[in-house]
Amino acid sequence: MTPVLEVANLSFAYERRSPVLAGISFTVDAGECVGVLGANGAGKSTLLWCLLGLLKNQGTVRWFPPAPARHALSRIGVVFQNPEDHLFMPTVLEDVALGLINRGWRPAAAREQALAALSEAGLAEAAARPASQLSLGERKRAAIAAALATSPEMLVLDEPTAELDGRSVRQLTAVLANLRVARLIASHDLGFLGKLCSRLLVLGANRLMAEGTAAQVLADAALLERAGLM
Amino acid sequence: MKRLLPILVFAAALAVIEWAGGRPLTTLPLVTVAAFAVTVTLARLVRWQGRIFRVRPGSRSYHALLFALFVRHFAGILGAETRRVLIARRLATPRAWKPGAARSLLFALAALFGRALTRAERFYAAQSLRGMTD
Repeated sequence: MTPVLEVANLSFAYERRSPVLAGISFTVDAGECVGVLGANGAGKSTLLWCLLGLLKNQGTVRWFPPAPARHALSRIGVVFQNPEDHLFMPTVLEDVALGLINRGWRPAAAREQALAALSEAGLAEAAARPASQLSLGERKRAAIAAALATSPEMLVLDEPTAELDGRSVRQLTAVLANLRVARLIASHDLGFLGKLCSRLLVLGANRLMAEGTAAQVLADAALLERAGLM
Repeated sequence: MKRLLPILVFAAALAVIEWAGGRPLTTLPLVTVAAFAVTVTLARLVRWQGRIFRVRPGSRSYHALLFALFVRHFAGILGAETRRVLIARRLATPRAWKPGAARSLLFALAALFGRALTRAERFYAAQSLRGMTD
């Protein structure tokens, strides 16, 4: 398989504090869906911020195919826990189209591509509405559509199911399951990651405690207990 | 009128600071109120919907539009966070003039700065990753 992300010996500590992450190494292959599993405070979001270059860390983070750091990030779609961090335009359609317009697309083409991305996220009918009028689940899917519109080589999601009800989780799962792009999803939601991911990384005690197929990891009750997930 | 109160208090505080500092009173408090009124009127009159499709990317109007939308979005976040903090504080200290009430207001307002900073950091990071800050 072709890797899209290779992380080697990544470590991070906030100034004058003990390390949050130490010696983290893993890869994500093209089209693969990998889950980063960990309890609250295990360092999942910090790991994602390090991968995205938002926090300065030690170790190596390589995106493939290699490109200058500034261009590398433009090939990644990112969705943070709070969709309001992504959605600020007057309508959802404009929120999704903005990334394309910013990359130099013509307005008509950007509008068309944005509508296709919204449709893929099951939100075609919400295109003309402002994000503030959507439910939290819809806003999360709108943020995913905005990330997908630019055809990224990898989608990075931080706690996508946080605060969502059962139906919204099912809708989100269906949208993410149908994607062919590589996905890296940080969450403590065992059921959600179990349904979506082929491989899971378990974070705990500042390090990568285990790595394996979703079935292997979720069947290991002792490991989940040690990681604070049960 | 109730919505105008914070800006009137702010303008009055500016005037008091000038007076207490022994300096002659300037038009700054009045300019503050006028700038607020003009901004609110413009924000309501301008038809924001679909405007991004009508401006040329990279042009001055493109940057001005994004700046206005960023400010509008963050003002909304700040307003929502303020309401949340003040409601939480009112629930914790229902008697306004009893011990601890003033102190809790101080801590609530201090917490607001922390929250606003975190939200601003995440919003900036999200937009930066979309190439908006290039």
